Amino acid sequence: MTSTSPTRRPIEFRNISIGTTVAMLGETRPDLLADALHKMLGGRPDFFAGEATILDFSNLTARPERVDWAGLLSLFRRFQLQPIGARALPAEFIETARRAGIALLDDVGEIGREAPPPERPVRAAPPPPPPQPATPAATTMFIERPVRSGQQIYAQGGDLVLLAGMSSGSEVIADGSIHCYGPLRGRALAGAQGNERVRILATNFGPEIVAIAGTYRTFENGIPQVIAGKAACVLMTEADRGNSLTIEPLQLD
Amino acid sequence: MTRVVVVTSGKGGVGKTTTSAAFASGLALRGFKTAVIDFDVGLRNLDLVMGCERRVVYDLVNVVSGDAKLNQALIKDRQCENLFILPASQTRDKDALTEEGIEQIIKDLGEMGFDYVVCDSPAGIERGAVLALIFADEAIITTNPEVSSVRDSDRILGILQSKSRRAAESKEPIKEHLLITRYSPKRAEEGEMLSYTDVQELLRVPLLGVIPESESVLHASNQGTPAIHLKGTDVGEAYLDVVARFLGEERPMRFVNYDKPGLMKRLFGGK
Repeated sequence: MTSTSPTRRPIEFRNISIGTTVAMLGETRPDLLADALHKMLGGRPDFFAGEATILDFSNLTARPERVDWAGLLSLFRRFQLQPIGARALPAEFIETARRAGIALLDDVGEIGREAPPPERPVRAAPPPPPPQPATPAATTMFIERPVRSGQQIYAQGGDLVLLAGMSSGSEVIADGSIHCYGPLRGRALAGAQGNERVRILATNFGPEIVAIAGTYRTFENGIPQVIAGKAACVLMTEADRGNSLTIEPLQLD
Repeated sequence: MTRVVVVTSGKGGVGKTTTSAAFASGLALRGFKTAVIDFDVGLRNLDLVMGCERRVVYDLVNVVSGDAKLNQALIKDRQCENLFILPASQTRDKDALTEEGIEQIIKDLGEMGFDYVVCDSPAGIERGAVLALIFADEAIITTNPEVSSVRDSDRILGILQSKSRRAAESKEPIKEHLLITRYSPKRAEEGEMLSYTDVQELLRVPLLGVIPESESVLHASNQGTPAIHLKGTDVGEAYLDVVARFLGEERPMRFVNYDKPGLMKRLFGGK
């Protein structure tokens, strides 16, 4: 039966928009990036789960002499991220990027293939640099059963609500906030993609470690009495930024 | 419809085999045709506890590999009419077991008219333990009232949710039951051990029963008699309560209260 119906063609091209993780690089040296990633992820090489990643070069602090593509690619893959393309790449690296198999994404209307302007940092200002990755409309993930020791839950692109608490030895990660109804034991990491304006809320606070956007806090000396086992909220205030976290009691009624 | 019940724990030495033997016997005493399978390949104990170690001809590995038929390997229990034991192999190792092989055995047991199949899991979370729980409809999580046992039980609960067939096929999840074993009300009262309410709060699974710490268990396994047959002992009675609750009957929780002995008793002896 000769086919004219579209479903029978061996290949079709479509255009879709996907939410992808963007890695804003301030640095291109793989060794420095490796250090930073290691610190940021608290020594967990399997924090990411093989997501596609766009390497964004608009935040570079200094113009590099060369870009070690092979080193960069293998570094990201080691951390379970799959670089699929580059954005805001200085024009002199376009050729080497192509040869390394990196797609050039010009969606923000930056350099592309035109004559490169010498002042890179100035160019970075006009196009809006989005620190938040382009995610689809944020959805909330609900977990109805207790999160058991050894389990790991990742709520990508949104908030996470635990309706039955989590046990010690388990780990929950969310790009948004974490809301825990029930005992919060184990590790709770919010703002996983770098969003500092998220919170961790719990009705029964007792975690091993909490983190917001990579800044974490452990409780080796015990959890303060005022919040231990009670309703509490973890947040990053302006004063905290990048350094510490604030934990305050939550008034339930 | 055959119900598959796995007796598991994560932690070793908490009372899985003792419980599998007692529980399976209890179901058989109630008139249900019951099979109890030892999944601890290479370290078999169920046959000892059931008192049939001298009657083992073929075992689970033989059946899975096709060397023997299921009805050749099943051993009829001498104390309970409806109870059959499928022992583990002692000489082979767990790699000899396959998921398909176990699936076929459970299917065949169903066709033979068994009401319940009790799977005695080995300790740990590796292959043997996973094979024991993979086809389970219900699970009895055996826990001692101390922290490492509770954490391991929590771990195995996570594995029950993720690695079972019911999870893989998005069917109704395995029904979980908490069984606390080796419980000492005195030590719980004195704060040395967790109380049964502490354990229940930590694991958040419905409590099926509490089996008290008792010398009777050692006597029972030495004799090759499942603990439930010890009439009048605390352990025997506790296991009878467990079977009753499993079958939907209400029973008050016994052997959980510590009554401090009065002054006279403390002065003049007595426990």
